[in-house]
Amino acid sequence: MDETTLIRRAAQGDVAAWEPLVLAHQQAVFRLAYLLLGDADDAEDIAQETFLRAWDHLKRFDETRPLRPWLLSISANLSRNRRRSAGRYVSALVRAFREQPKEIPLDEDSAQRTEANELWRAVQQLDLPDQQIVYLRYFLDLPVAETAEVLQIAEGTVKSRLSRALEKLRKIIHQDFPVLVEGREV
Amino acid sequence: MSDVDFENQLHSIAKQMNYPRTPDIAGRVMSRLQPATKPRFIFKGWARSLTLIVVFIFSLMLIPPVRAAVLEFIQIGIVRIFPRSTESPIDSPQTATPQSFVPATATPYVGFYPLLSDLSRLAGERTLSQAQDLVAPYYPIPLPAYPSDLGEPDHVFVQDADGSMTILVWLDPNDTEKVLLSLHIVPEGSWAIHKSEPVTIQETQVNGQRAVWAVGPYPLRYSNGDLDFTRLVVGYVLIWVEGEITYRLESALPMEEAIKVAESLQPAP
Repeated sequence: MDETTLIRRAAQGDVAAWEPLVLAHQQAVFRLAYLLLGDADDAEDIAQETFLRAWDHLKRFDETRPLRPWLLSISANLSRNRRRSAGRYVSALVRAFREQPKEIPLDEDSAQRTEANELWRAVQQLDLPDQQIVYLRYFLDLPVAETAEVLQIAEGTVKSRLSRALEKLRKIIHQDFPVLVEGREV
Repeated sequence: MSDVDFENQLHSIAKQMNYPRTPDIAGRVMSRLQPATKPRFIFKGWARSLTLIVVFIFSLMLIPPVRAAVLEFIQIGIVRIFPRSTESPIDSPQTATPQSFVPATATPYVGFYPLLSDLSRLAGERTLSQAQDLVAPYYPIPLPAYPSDLGEPDHVFVQDADGSMTILVWLDPNDTEKVLLSLHIVPEGSWAIHKSEPVTIQETQVNGQRAVWAVGPYPLRYSNGDLDFTRLVVGYVLIWVEGEITYRLESALPMEEAIKVAESLQPAP
C-alpha cells in the first residue's frame, strides 16, 4: 500500500494504517531530535510526541504531499521548544549528577565516526537555525527541496542560508577542530 | 578547498555519525493511541522536573531580596510586564477606574491607533488556510465572532516558520494603513514577550479568567532563543491565557470592547 493511501486511511481513524508510516519515518524523526537535543531519552520523547500530534492533525494534512517533511518540521519545533523549556535545564542537572553519564557507543577503531562526532560538536556552536539546516541537509541527507519544505522557506532561501551557515562552520572548524582540518583538509 | 568540495566533505563525514539505536517509537505510539491510554502530552520525567522547579522557586522566594526582585514584574502566560513603578505595579479590579485612561465613550482613541507599518515588517505572511495547516499540530486558530461584521483577518503571519506564533491582523476598512485589531496567539514555551513600562496596567477578566489590560506606548520585546526583536506598541492591549496558549489582542478599542472581542473567539471554520 502506498504512502498516500496509508495517510488517507489513517486520517479516517485507521490506527493500523498509521503504524507502517511511523515505522517508515521514526528513524529520521528520532535522529533529528537527537541531533538538536543531544540526548537519546529526550529525542525519544520528542519522536513519540511528533507522531501523536501528527496523528491528531492528519485530517488537515494534504495527503498528496510527502509526509516526512511535515513530521520533521513538527519534530524540529518540539525539539526547539524542549531546548528552551525549564524542564530541559532540570534534566541536564539531573544528568550531571548521574554517576555514570550515558555515552554514545563508539566503535573503537572508527576514526570516521570520531570525525563525525567532532563535526557534530562544531555544528553545535552555530546558531540554532543554522544547526537545523545543516542537520537536515548533511546529517539527514535531505535534498534542498525537502529541506525547504521542512523549514517552510523557498529553495533559494535554503541555499543562501546554507551558504552562510557553512561559512561560519568552516571558520569554527579551522579555529577549534584541528582534527577535522588535519584529517580531511576541510 | 572550494565550497563544493567542502560540502562534499561534510556530507561524507556526517554520514558516519554514530546515532543511538532508534527505539521502538512505533510500538509506543501505537500503545498510546489505544482508547485507554495514559494522559497525553506528558513527557517522561515531566512530573519530577516540575516538582524540582517548584521546590527551587519556593526556596528562592524565601530569600527576601530575591522575592522582591521576582515580584517586580507581572507575568501572564508567556508575557512578562515590567511596570513603570514598583510601588503600585498594578491596579486591582476593585480600585481600578478604567475611565482614568480609557476614553469615556466607546469611540476608539485615534491617537493610539496601531499602524500597519508597525506589523508589516513581520515575516512569515500566509493565508489563513496555510496558517491553520502550519499550526494545526500545536493549536487551533480561533476567530472573533464580535463584531459580527469583522470577517476574516486581512493579514496572517506565522512567525518562526514552524508554527510557533500566529498573528492575525484586521485593518480599518476606512483607512487600510491603520490596524483595527491584531490578535497574537502564542503557545507556551515558544516565545517570551517582555513589555517595559506601559503607561497603565490593569487587571481584568476574560471568560472569568485573569487578564491584564495594558496601554502603550511602550517597547515590546519578543524573544524565542533564536530571534530577538523589539517594536514600539502604541495601542491598547488585552492579554489572557487559555490552557497553554497566551492571547494578546492589540487594538484601538477600549477595554470593554476588547473583552467582548476576546470572549467571542470561536474555532475558525
